[in-house]
Amino acid sequence: MAQATVEAGAAGHGAEPRGKRTEDGQATYLIAIAEGLWEEMERDDRVFLLGEDIGVYGGAFKVTEGFIERFGPERVIDTPIVEETIVGMALGAAMEGLRPVAEFQYADFMSSGFDEITTALARYHYRSGVPTPVVLRAPSGGGVRASSFHSENPEPWFAYAPGLKVICPAFPTDAKGLLKSAIRDDNPCVFLEHKWIYRRIKELVPEDPDLLIPIGKANVRREGTDVSIVTYGMMVHLALEAAEELSHDGVDVEVVDLRSIVPLDTETILRSVEKTSRALVLSESHRFLGTTAEVASVIAEEGFAHLDAPVVRMAPPSVPVPFSPVLEDAYLPQVADIVEGVRKLSTW
Amino acid sequence: MATKIEDAKSTSEADWRAGLSDDRLREILHLLKLCRYFDERMEALYRQGRLPGAIYSGRGQEGTHVGVTFALRPDDSLFPTHRDLSAQLAKGLDLKRVMAQFWGRIDGYTRGRDGNSHIGDWQGNRTWTVMSHLPIAYPVACGAALAYKRKAEPKVAMAICGDGATSNGRWHEALNVSAIHELPVVWVVNNNQYAYSTPNRLEMPTPTIAERASAYGMPGIRVDGQDVLDVYRVANQAVERARGGGGPTLIESVSLRWRGHAGHDPAKYVPQEMLERYIREKDPVRRFEELLLARGVVDEDAVKQTQDRVEREFDEGYGFAQASPYPVPSDVTRGLWVEDGYWSSEPSREGGTG
Repeated sequence: MAQATVEAGAAGHGAEPRGKRTEDGQATYLIAIAEGLWEEMERDDRVFLLGEDIGVYGGAFKVTEGFIERFGPERVIDTPIVEETIVGMALGAAMEGLRPVAEFQYADFMSSGFDEITTALARYHYRSGVPTPVVLRAPSGGGVRASSFHSENPEPWFAYAPGLKVICPAFPTDAKGLLKSAIRDDNPCVFLEHKWIYRRIKELVPEDPDLLIPIGKANVRREGTDVSIVTYGMMVHLALEAAEELSHDGVDVEVVDLRSIVPLDTETILRSVEKTSRALVLSESHRFLGTTAEVASVIAEEGFAHLDAPVVRMAPPSVPVPFSPVLEDAYLPQVADIVEGVRKLSTW
Repeated sequence: MATKIEDAKSTSEADWRAGLSDDRLREILHLLKLCRYFDERMEALYRQGRLPGAIYSGRGQEGTHVGVTFALRPDDSLFPTHRDLSAQLAKGLDLKRVMAQFWGRIDGYTRGRDGNSHIGDWQGNRTWTVMSHLPIAYPVACGAALAYKRKAEPKVAMAICGDGATSNGRWHEALNVSAIHELPVVWVVNNNQYAYSTPNRLEMPTPTIAERASAYGMPGIRVDGQDVLDVYRVANQAVERARGGGGPTLIESVSLRWRGHAGHDPAKYVPQEMLERYIREKDPVRRFEELLLARGVVDEDAVKQTQDRVEREFDEGYGFAQASPYPVPSDVTRGLWVEDGYWSSEPSREGGTG
């Protein structure tokens, strides 16, 4: 084992990421993900990493900093810029009994590996019965002024391809527990981390080395009685802020964090709508044919009898993520937009 | 690493049999004739409207497919394409289940979830379930080979594609990565001179595919795909080189696709005179049969017996396929996720898994 602890931020020397928690034991979302990866690599020799600049450099966001020193270049493989081959290699290694975790530098670059993801990886088991335990990790999402090619939310692309589990955690504990579940899952999983959350959100993350959050279970983050906000990823944090603001006006908001898009936990969504009779579906993926379209239709089809108002959707327009701060703010739903949307909905 | 591009030539008189026993040579003859007969009969059934879906003829290219696959051991992996049925059969796929697949039945390798030659049997004989997006399996072969290397298992991954797929970026990515990591892979390109209708000269500026190997620091070898033993010799060297830790090799095996890309394509873009010459002078099945006759490994009677056996096997396969049940329609969503248990249970004679 590596040394027990080192100073926060001093990794890069084979020290385990847990040493990078804050003094009071909190882990950022990024550190929680690194812990999950590290623990699974310690637990299971079949788990290995591949991707661009993940070894010596420690990854574009430094999630795998220190890993190559601990696990060596055979289990932390720096690849050329070959997204299709990264995915295809992961698939082939999984078919031969290994458990690869591939990193994309940004979720935007998953389009460069699209065919191997949606044709080869997603469809292989249905046609052959061969388990393909591959995890594809990728930093997604906007709000960090990173413009069109470093801000995308590609989860609808992969949710549309049958055979991939699509996971979008919003909190450090969920990120760690879901990543560990994904690595132990026998199906291919697309694990979309959110770069806005990486270093912004921290919490006390349980020490349990078998911290496993089930994939496909939504979580009611805030209980409320008036309006349900159904969302995931960065938007959970905006929704919670909006809910807090609305509580001062006597509007009691429930926030449902989906945590995964596939499988979609329709039971928890419908249970929440049954309670509040009003639903605002919120996402960072585009409004047109995006995640909100599917969730809103589930509520309309299966929860119609519970509704006192039409389902409201809030999501970015179908344009590339723009750069200029004023444009990106206009593109992404803001706390004020959510507050206003919920207010309108609560009095409908 | 030294880079070598060469044309493989038939070797000395003493090694005419490429180190293969009489039994192995007769096995090759049986496979060549089986694949040829299968190809012809399936095309006839297709044209009669008695076969659903598509067919992708490998006629004229059997020498490449059987030759390379014969160099593999049972636990080596094979990543073929839809045109490589002769390779799949040589690797161990069961003709009966292959035919059940063509008719969309439960006993097909994909249980009706895919059709025609999109077949594989990974658990049974390490054969990839073929996909259309070529060369989609080239990167996957790198992954299997990476696992062999990591686990220090003396196994080899072999991937086949056509000349058409060598224009795709993945082909270059995979060759590059395999060379960087010295992976135990053999890259086989069945250069049948046409990517669907597009001839070699519009596919690449270089006179050969083999010479592209130099860009990736690996040997590139060009061989006559009409000569199954020449192909076998070259493949065997490449496989053993890979198995011994020597890294990947690129093999370009040159033949001609006698039929169209798929059953619907009359292939009028192939000059008639060239096609006739290939059929007349370069038929890999007839050439091999004549070789074995001349060398006394078989006589006319044995050849006839082989042909009878092939026709019997086809008829048995056809009968098996027609008697095999269709999958149960209500199972359409099953088998997507490992945990739904569809693939871990044996189907019943009613076609379901209950």
